[in-house]
Amino acid sequence: MKNIVWLVSYPKSGNTWFRMFLANYLKNAAAPVSLKEIESTPLASSAVDFEEVMGLNPFELTADDVDFYRPDFYRILSEEAENTGEVIYKKTHDAYTLNANGKPLFPEETSSGAVYFVRNPLDVCVSYANHSTGKVQRMVDFLLDEESYVAGQRSGQLRQKLLSWKSHIRSWRKQSLIPVHIVRYEDMQQKPTVAFGSIIKFLRLEYDAERLERAIIHSDFRLLQRMEQEKGFHEKKQLCKSFFWKGKIGNYRNYLSEEQIQRIVEYNYDTMKLFGYIDEQGSLTI
Amino acid sequence: MNLASPIDSLVVKVILKDVGMLAAPRLSRPSFEVDENDFFLDVRNIARYRVQNGNKVFIHPHENADIASIKLFLNGSVLGAALHQQGMLPFHGSSFEYEGKGVIICGYSGVGKSSVTAAFCQNGGSFINDDITPVRITGPATFITPIKTGLKLWDDSLRKLHIEKNGLEKIRPALDKFYLADRETSSEEQRLDHLLILGTHQQEEFIVNELNGMDKYNVLRKQIYRRVYLKGMPSTEKSYFKQLFQLAARIRVTQILRPAICDIYETMACIQKEILR
Repeated sequence: MKNIVWLVSYPKSGNTWFRMFLANYLKNAAAPVSLKEIESTPLASSAVDFEEVMGLNPFELTADDVDFYRPDFYRILSEEAENTGEVIYKKTHDAYTLNANGKPLFPEETSSGAVYFVRNPLDVCVSYANHSTGKVQRMVDFLLDEESYVAGQRSGQLRQKLLSWKSHIRSWRKQSLIPVHIVRYEDMQQKPTVAFGSIIKFLRLEYDAERLERAIIHSDFRLLQRMEQEKGFHEKKQLCKSFFWKGKIGNYRNYLSEEQIQRIVEYNYDTMKLFGYIDEQGSLTI
Repeated sequence: MNLASPIDSLVVKVILKDVGMLAAPRLSRPSFEVDENDFFLDVRNIARYRVQNGNKVFIHPHENADIASIKLFLNGSVLGAALHQQGMLPFHGSSFEYEGKGVIICGYSGVGKSSVTAAFCQNGGSFINDDITPVRITGPATFITPIKTGLKLWDDSLRKLHIEKNGLEKIRPALDKFYLADRETSSEEQRLDHLLILGTHQQEEFIVNELNGMDKYNVLRKQIYRRVYLKGMPSTEKSYFKQLFQLAARIRVTQILRPAICDIYETMACIQKEILR
């Protein structure tokens, strides 16, 4: 049954922000939902869920072996949700890749669609460096590395192959088995009604303008920052000061050197142009 | 190929022909099948295992499999299935004796059960089991049953525990995880006093919560090793229901959340305080 929606992105591209919006939209309550509520849209890479469902410790398998089992893992989750008729929303940072058996990690027959969040790679770079308390230079290398991955052995999450920033987007765009709706982080900030509204329509949820506006207000970035300060957020890394950091468009200008900007732009030029981060004249738009 | 059985009551046989699958399993998953007294597991590139009546294990190794990997899954998921068939109530936890008390540290894989157990064993504790701990409830008493599986530690845990990894056996050639040698395992049962559930969070402090009443039962139930198999073993699941209630009435159950990044000995100290309280 096609009852899983993948919420896909490179890290720090608005995925968690959207999950808060979605939780608010689905609940449609008078008050904003707490950060805790998005635990109900858990990670596709949860090692705990994998072990519970598959009966194998993922940390005693190789990462490639885990990928071999992942399509079955999602099939079972889908089957189990079939009885309740619920749609499962799963956040993932995985590129769209095939396992050693030649099977996509995300099976077509269980996937109702994917929402892909794309953000200017220059801002992704500095935001991710803050999140992982890593050096900015290391993040520049990470975004340009065709073999980038996160998590895996003993990290608490399954290994997720990210590839480079441009290959990540390309992998999801070029596959044709799962319908993908791409949304720019910048549009979520600057044109929230249009951006979030387009996702509601894509997901074939009931479109209600008033509900949409309320969910946008209830998932306002500054509100999320305040909620995190007051009660914490379980997806924040221990050494990182805050998960909802600045969220600012163009923040990279305060952190990246000209050489770092040049490297990222050169490598990702065509993709950045495609998504409007570079204009027709070849200038950076942000 | 010779593989030792982790428990005396289990005969392990390596066979050349396939182990076969169950005819009409109650629970069928792509990698395993379960019935009350029959279990099949296929571990990719390693082996196909069959466990029957809690006393026989048949293994058909994959042609390129190494013995360490075959042993690893034999002493993990396969042993778990055998213990369920024996009605032994296996918990997903490592166990040791400390200051005369039988302790099980439960928690999801990777949370640090083995590392903390190793730290206790460096500080006066006696090792009993790693990762899987069967519990036997008889009359008014509750016991930890020792099984013959070694303590498994990642290379970074060995380093943090100041243990030299040279000469230690890898659990699988592809993984930097090792069996800790020289752990004397008692063959005697140990009274169980305290079960602690270790978790992590992204805060700086430890959070300790000793449970009471129904909370104890509900949390204990979730610590059963390979609980998913019970979906194909309704009678066993029913018998555990009664045992878990008895257990909840007899032992202390404490949840501990530790910082995701923290010193193993700090975690040990926090648990030590709870055990001795």
